[in-house]
Amino acid sequence: MSDVVLPLLVALPIMISVLPLIFGLKYENAGWPIAMGGSLTVLALAVYTITEVAANGRLIHALGNYPQPYGIELVGDELSTLIVLLIGLVSVLVLVYSRTRGPYGNAFHSGYLLLTGGLLGVVLTGDLFNLFVFLEITGLVTYALVASDRSGKSAYAALKYVFLGTIGASLYLIGVGYLYVATGTLNMRDLQGAIETVGYTDPLIQAAFGFILVGFALKVALFPLHTWQPDAYAYAPDSVSAYISALVSTAAAYALIRISFDVFTVEFFLVNDLISTAIMAAASVSIVVGSLLALMQTEIKRMFAYSSVAQFGMIVAAIAVANETAVFGAIIHLFGHGLMKAGLFMAAGILAAVYGARTIDEYAGLANRSPFTAASIAVIGIALIGIPPSIGFLGKWFIGLGAVEAGEWGVAFVIFVSTMLTLAYVFRIIEKLYFDPPGDPHGHGSDHEHEHEHDGAATDGGHELVADTSAVTVGMVVMVVSITIAVVALGFSWELFFDLLAPVLERFFQ
Amino acid sequence: MSALGTPLLVDSVTTIPPFAWIALAAFVVLFLPRQAGHAVAAIATALVGIQAFLIDDGIYAEAAFLGFEAVFLNVDPASRTMAIGVGIIATAAVIYSWGSEASKVQTAFALSYVSSTLGVIYAGDWLSLIFFWELMAVTSTALVWYYGGDAIRAGYRYAIAHGIGGTLLLGAVVVHYVAVGSFLFTAEPGIAAGAAALLAALGIGVNCGFILLHTWIPDTYPRPHIAASVFLSVFTTKTAVLVMYRAFPEGALWLAYLGGSMAVYGVFFALLQYNPRRLLSYHIQAQVGYMLAGIGAAALVTSEPSSFASASGIAHAFNNILYKSLLFMAVGVVIYRTGENDIRNLGGLWKVMPITFAAYLIGALSITAVPGFSGFISKGMVLDAAHDVDTVPFLLGEDLLWWLLIIGGVGTFMSFIKLGYYIFFHGESDIQPKDATTGQIVAMFGAGAVCLYYGIAYGGFLSLLPGSVEWTTDPYSTGHLTEAAGLAIAGFVGFALLKKPLGKLAHVMRDVDTVINPAVFYTGRVFVWGVTEVWAAVDRFVMNTLSTLKRLGSNPEATVRKAGFGTESKPIYLRSDVGRSVFILTTIMFVALVVLLFG
Repeated sequence: MSDVVLPLLVALPIMISVLPLIFGLKYENAGWPIAMGGSLTVLALAVYTITEVAANGRLIHALGNYPQPYGIELVGDELSTLIVLLIGLVSVLVLVYSRTRGPYGNAFHSGYLLLTGGLLGVVLTGDLFNLFVFLEITGLVTYALVASDRSGKSAYAALKYVFLGTIGASLYLIGVGYLYVATGTLNMRDLQGAIETVGYTDPLIQAAFGFILVGFALKVALFPLHTWQPDAYAYAPDSVSAYISALVSTAAAYALIRISFDVFTVEFFLVNDLISTAIMAAASVSIVVGSLLALMQTEIKRMFAYSSVAQFGMIVAAIAVANETAVFGAIIHLFGHGLMKAGLFMAAGILAAVYGARTIDEYAGLANRSPFTAASIAVIGIALIGIPPSIGFLGKWFIGLGAVEAGEWGVAFVIFVSTMLTLAYVFRIIEKLYFDPPGDPHGHGSDHEHEHEHDGAATDGGHELVADTSAVTVGMVVMVVSITIAVVALGFSWELFFDLLAPVLERFFQ
Repeated sequence: MSALGTPLLVDSVTTIPPFAWIALAAFVVLFLPRQAGHAVAAIATALVGIQAFLIDDGIYAEAAFLGFEAVFLNVDPASRTMAIGVGIIATAAVIYSWGSEASKVQTAFALSYVSSTLGVIYAGDWLSLIFFWELMAVTSTALVWYYGGDAIRAGYRYAIAHGIGGTLLLGAVVVHYVAVGSFLFTAEPGIAAGAAALLAALGIGVNCGFILLHTWIPDTYPRPHIAASVFLSVFTTKTAVLVMYRAFPEGALWLAYLGGSMAVYGVFFALLQYNPRRLLSYHIQAQVGYMLAGIGAAALVTSEPSSFASASGIAHAFNNILYKSLLFMAVGVVIYRTGENDIRNLGGLWKVMPITFAAYLIGALSITAVPGFSGFISKGMVLDAAHDVDTVPFLLGEDLLWWLLIIGGVGTFMSFIKLGYYIFFHGESDIQPKDATTGQIVAMFGAGAVCLYYGIAYGGFLSLLPGSVEWTTDPYSTGHLTEAAGLAIAGFVGFALLKKPLGKLAHVMRDVDTVINPAVFYTGRVFVWGVTEVWAAVDRFVMNTLSTLKRLGSNPEATVRKAGFGTESKPIYLRSDVGRSVFILTTIMFVALVVLLFG
């Protein structure tokens, strides 16, 4: 009966998402405790689920006990529960962070819980139409959260995301419709056999894949369908940036992996060779252009946003390479990228809160004043380049190795090039942080009198005239530092991932 | 060696790869007071030797490294012998460092160098071997650089040489993997033939000091701190000998004769040196020549088993680790006390520094292979192997290889008579330096005792070696003793006769040097200049491109305007708005469908 945990995981955050609003009628600050309680419960359930799945294999729950293939299923296998764990973790981390950093208010926390529930639904559902519903829930709440600081820029970013995200989801829905017309079923496990019966070269099936692919390409923000993403990440409040950059595109990329290998299967890629090549080409362009655009940015959050374009390009390229090693790398990178981006956006948020620093130039010399946050940015940045030991290295390494194994030297080369470019933009930041004397945007002169004042390190603020230490708590810094440590420590964990994911990979590539 | 049945706990402790705790010790040393740090370091290095004695042959510490199988503790007679040598000498060198005012930072660098050396020695696969090999280059360069002064420039040249060597070996490893499909030594004995073998020979050859690839040895080793020289003088070159054995376990003709030539070449140039550490550095090349001759002769011996020839090479490497570091220590004490780097300015020190003289004597008697000292055993083995070679018959029924080694042996005698003569005799001393410090004495006589012990009680030593049990000849047989006596007499007579001419030759050779060295120098200079200029051009190009890109990229509106779109007052809005994004999306969808349906 342990499969009951699956509907609970999805339903619980959605149901309690109304509580902040209800209690908000009486208590002003009801939202945060409720959201925290919900997120902690999700995290606990996620840990329980992943241990359960790792021990006993995948869980399947038929909602309402409707018989297959008519009813909706929730499926928790090793891959989905890994992403569930990531969602649980990041939810808790970001909430600790947002307690001080904001946004505040009950409406925000309702939305936060709803988004968590939507993401969990995307990850756990075993039904294509149900997936669409959860994608829409996720999308709509994300629009709301992006705009939650009520500035004009974020409103525009949210609007752009609304239009494009909706069209992307609609394309996906069209694809699902085609599949339904062709096979008469929407259940993923059922579809696998049904598609094989219809034939992998059937135009309906091919077109369905095309629509689904482009829909997800927009959701994961592949170049040139990424246009919504830098605006959304850059103009959203810092906490929201951290949350959505870590999870929203991740959930979409997860769904793409799931649909590619559980629904269409690796056979489909083998038969439709041109599709693989086309996806690889598009993903490679995304990797290179994303990295180049990141290199050109002056604004930190935009830089991280474009870096995501490149990283997801890598994941999609690995899907198209379609062998065990590459997909293993893609899953690790999915997980690792989520952690790394959450850490980077949180750290950027801290520096923005304390010093108002949002561009590279404003980062000059901040390492002296905020040693912990700056070191976290440096270490996570180095992990993002793919320098061992770090989870960033593992993901890139296995994707690259898989590409070489499959003889796709082009992909391997592109990953190498992007590593060089990542090196360039990360070192721009590190150089500014550590080796540039502090600038004097406020006319106080670039003195060195504060160099020895490291005793304020715990609050990570120092005593700068422009610094607003009250905006940051020790807890926020601790969150960032612990993500940093995890990013490095997970660099030693590839066997752990391998043992966990072996059954899934075996199923994908029997 | 724990055939008696060691307890389980000991077994599990002994299977930790020693590079791990030495690396840990390197960190610990930094944070402890100098004295305590050196004590910890000495214990850590001593444990390496103890572990090597305790552990059975076999493969331990297997791990998956980047998705490949790797072995971090591969114990066989060859690696055990080397590890015992490294354990003894690293301990002695740490104590020597403590006695020679070496800073704890320098000792920490030295330990990191020892750690990577042990990684190479115990590697059971080419991947972890090349990893530690590159690490050795980095850590040893750091050790050289740490001293500052003119060690910095020499360190650069050292780093370049090892960078090239490391890259060649890396190429060899990659080619080997492509050919064999595994990095493990167990998958294929030796390096794959063909390109891999060639690359490996050159790459390892840099570290071995092949003729023409050897210039970094006399260039670097005389310059850093005297204690740093002790570490440097033994680990890099002798580890390279072991790796050469790993790459060519069956030996090779070219290797044997190249080794013989190195013995003569190194000794000849050693004879012309007056900087004591430079003289010893040339002897490193010569001694490595003996080892390679032994390892190479494995392919040539006719009646002896080929494993005997390999064993002779490893045996000589082990002994050389001991006495070469002892010599560097003794000479280091002289430099430490007198500050003098030219032996012609010294003399008569045997009265003033009798302890140092005694230590020098043990080292010199060992390296010249006088009976009773360890060098006698292993050089005898190498000569026996060469005696058995009959590929290029030369004089008196002996092979050319044997003659090369004998000439090298005579030269070694002359060279150490010369070194000893100039430093310790050669008139009265006009200075009164103190003798060695306590730490230096402990270190020197510790190493010296092992030299003596293994020269007399050679049985225990022979049982360590790969295949040495098959050596039937008694090392103290009349034949060997005659050989040694012959070498000694020829050496003394040679030195007496040639002392004056050598002095002159040294002058003349300096003139010859001024022809050869500039040639090498300017070739090198032109090469370096070429590389630097090419690099600078690449660098300029990259930086210009980057800054242009940055300029263009950080203000894209202006860029577009320059290209002729939009005006100052009415710029083109570059970020895709909603409409354009939807257009792109539709286009992509269309393309995707076309590809899917009609592709």
